Amino acid sequence: MSNYQEEHGIQDDAVSRTATDDNEATRQDIRTQLREIFRLYSSDEDHQEDNTTLLELLSQLIPESLQEEWLEQLDQHDKKGCPESFIDSLPRVSKRNLSSTSACSICFSVFLEDDYPLVVELPHCDHRFDLECISIWLSKSTTCPLCRDDVMSHKVKIDSSKAELEEDWGMYG
Amino acid sequence: MGPPDSPYAGGVFFLSIHFPTDYPFKPPKIAFTTKIYHPNINANGNICLDILKDQWSPALTISKVLLSICSLLTDANPDDPLVPEIAHIYKTDRAKYEATAREWTKKYAV
Repeated sequence: MSNYQEEHGIQDDAVSRTATDDNEATRQDIRTQLREIFRLYSSDEDHQEDNTTLLELLSQLIPESLQEEWLEQLDQHDKKGCPESFIDSLPRVSKRNLSSTSACSICFSVFLEDDYPLVVELPHCDHRFDLECISIWLSKSTTCPLCRDDVMSHKVKIDSSKAELEEDWGMYG
Repeated sequence: MGPPDSPYAGGVFFLSIHFPTDYPFKPPKIAFTTKIYHPNINANGNICLDILKDQWSPALTISKVLLSICSLLTDANPDDPLVPEIAHIYKTDRAKYEATAREWTKKYAV
C-alpha cells in the first residue's frame, strides 16, 4: 500500500529539485557573465564610455515605468516638505489687503472671486497663495513656487517674534 | 516650430503632454513624438530638462515649459546629456552636429 508521500511527495520533490537546480545554474551562469563584463569594462580607463553603454543596456532590461516609479520614490525620500506646524503658522492676508486682480499663481483663481478668500503670505519673499494650494506644495517642498526662496530658512526668526508678541498680549491685554 | 536661430528651423515638432492626477503639484510628462537630433532628447523623445523633474514649480505653466523646451533647442546642455554620443559631437565638432540636426529636421519634421 502506498501513501501520499510515496505517490506524490517524493516524485514532486525530485522534479522540483531538478527545476531549481536548472534555475540556479542559469542564474549563476548569467551572474558570471555579468561579472565578467563588468570586470572587463570597469578595469580599463579607456572603456569609460562603454561602461555607460553597459549601464544603458542594463537599464533597458528594467521597464521604464518601474524606473520612473523608483525615481519618484527616491525623490519623495529626498524631498522633505515643511512641517505642518510651519504651514499652519503662515500669516493670513486679510481681504482688504488683496487687490482686485491679484490671483493665486498655483490655481490662477483671482483671490477676491471668493467671498471668503483664505490667502497666506510666505515669509521673506511675501508671495501670496491660496492656503489650500500652497499647503499641498509645502507638504512636499520647502521652496516658494514663484522665486524658489527656501521658506524654511527664515522660519526661526519669524516664529519666535510672533510667539513673544502673543504671550505679552496674553499677560497684559 | 524649431527656433529660427537653430538647426531645427523650419521643422514642426510634435510633443505629447501627459498631466498626472496631482498636477500642478507634479510636473507634466512631456515627450517629443517627432524624431529629433539633440543631446538632451533621446530616441524615445524623452527630454532631459530640470524643470520637468526636480526643479518643477506649481507656478509654471505649459506655455512657460514649452518656451523652456524651445530655448533648449537653441542652447543645448551638453554637460548633462541624455544621449552622450550626440553631446560628444556637439562639444567636439559643432558643424557636424548642426549638419546632422538639420538633416534630421528635414527628414522627420518638414
